Amino acid sequence: MSELFTKNCESDQAVPFTSEQTQNCLMDCDMEEMSADNVKTSPADHLQQWSQWQLLDSILPTGGFAHSSGLEAAVQARFVVGPEDLKFYIIQVLENTGSLLLPYVYCASKFPDVESWFKLDRLLEATLTNEVSRKASASQGSALLRVAASIYVEIPSLKQMRDTYLGSGAASFHHAPIFGLICGLLGFDSSTSQRAYMFITMRDVVSAATRLNLIGPLGASVLQHQIAHVAEQMTKKWMDRPVEEASQTSPLVDIVQGCHGYLFSRLFCS
Amino acid sequence: MSGKGGERGERKMETGIAAVEKVGGRSTVTRCFSKYPLKLIVPNKVGSSKTDAVWIYTLSYGGGIVSGDRISLSIGVGDGCTAAVTTQASTKVYKSVDSKCSEQVLEARIGRNALLAVIPDPVTCFSTARYSQKQVFRVFSDSNLVIVDWITSGRHESGEKWEFELYRSTNQIFLEEDQPLFLDSVLLEQASTCSIAERMQEYHVIAMVIILGPMLKHVQNQVQDEVKKMMSRHFRVPTPTAGHYMRSESQSGPTRPALVASCSAFGPQAIGVVVRIAAVTTESVYMFLRHHLATLEPFLGVIPYG
Repeated sequence: MSELFTKNCESDQAVPFTSEQTQNCLMDCDMEEMSADNVKTSPADHLQQWSQWQLLDSILPTGGFAHSSGLEAAVQARFVVGPEDLKFYIIQVLENTGSLLLPYVYCASKFPDVESWFKLDRLLEATLTNEVSRKASASQGSALLRVAASIYVEIPSLKQMRDTYLGSGAASFHHAPIFGLICGLLGFDSSTSQRAYMFITMRDVVSAATRLNLIGPLGASVLQHQIAHVAEQMTKKWMDRPVEEASQTSPLVDIVQGCHGYLFSRLFCS
Repeated sequence: MSGKGGERGERKMETGIAAVEKVGGRSTVTRCFSKYPLKLIVPNKVGSSKTDAVWIYTLSYGGGIVSGDRISLSIGVGDGCTAAVTTQASTKVYKSVDSKCSEQVLEARIGRNALLAVIPDPVTCFSTARYSQKQVFRVFSDSNLVIVDWITSGRHESGEKWEFELYRSTNQIFLEEDQPLFLDSVLLEQASTCSIAERMQEYHVIAMVIILGPMLKHVQNQVQDEVKKMMSRHFRVPTPTAGHYMRSESQSGPTRPALVASCSAFGPQAIGVVVRIAAVTTESVYMFLRHHLATLEPFLGVIPYG
């Protein structure tokens, strides 16, 4: 077991939240929203929650687990050597995701229509100048749209959109705008959509860390929870920005990610 | 021009304008204007007389950019012409006064079958400096473009390391007026989750090289092959005992490469290549550029950074 894991188990005796604590926490954050929601909650809203949770479930076959966000290259080039490096690397991936991709999730979820999505997709194609990240984004986005169009049959526009653009070659189906669009159609508000994007990004890097054998499954979950408050800070910081402001904030991480294609042996696609 | 009226009229306070056109079959500077704080110099002879290229040097009064300065340069390279824009030394951005930001803007149009090489020395931001740079290039599918954009960590001989407040560098390339081909923006600011120095680790230089256009295909291919070869040596193949190496190698073991680079093709039919570099020393990046851009000599008359 890694040191990280052991250490955290010792220091976090109280870590398994009691349900009371969890509830208090939820109450604090969402007091106002919840009281407003209670008034208008309907059976349709309850059903929508099932759809929303399914979108964030790691069992959704979108191929996210084929990607390490450059972690594999970072390990092989010795940028990630110890547990502290791993945590730091994940935080930087999250920061870059926030500054570069959240604007796309935001705009797509705010205006979940095909024309807006297509413009965002074209812009992101020019913005993802790193080939490894660009291909990873296109393959995850395409897979997500395929899955969503098959499962959310109550939203026929997903299938129509896929049928229209798939053969044309005009769209790349980048992940962030597709994710934002689906969030918008499933009734997520735009701040939840953006937070959810950060969540799945973190989930996938942490999962990659376990499969690279950097950390055990329990240690990974502990780490994921530790990083959550940093991820929340970053979500807040980069939330609700126009795509014109999208920028790289961790150039070193970007360079290392770009090296993925140079690895002689590799487990992941990116 | 781009035809997006409004803001242009207001902001069109260029401090420099240069136009290069064919005169008597040779690339010639037909217009050159500059005013404080920018100075443009066009030496007659830079390379051999056999090459058809003009060189434009951008200089600043007092050798650097003062807090609050706004420099705006507009360059037009006519069909079939070749121009290089460069500096004589690194661009220093002095300490910020009253949190004012210094700004540098370049707008360039590159004609059909023309070549523009923007090959300056690096930007060096002093501690507390705030600097924002935006370069917009408008090209055709047969235009050719080389851009080198780079920054060092500051005056590290006096102990400064990534101590400026803000650095933003935006590079945009549009094809046929308004199709986005390459949109890139790097933002480094202290007010982040971790300081810039922490993010950069032991690296002191971040550089980007863009090579675009059909005339430069061989330059692109060569840099892609060589960077791949150079970097492949630096990756260790994981051992079967993986899972233990995180602890066992954290104390000793080989270190990270002193220069990390990766190449990416971009645009339709991979019309362009971008190379991103992080390096421990400025000199190693000069060497890298000298080596990989040497193939531009036949176009420019001399080896860039030579």
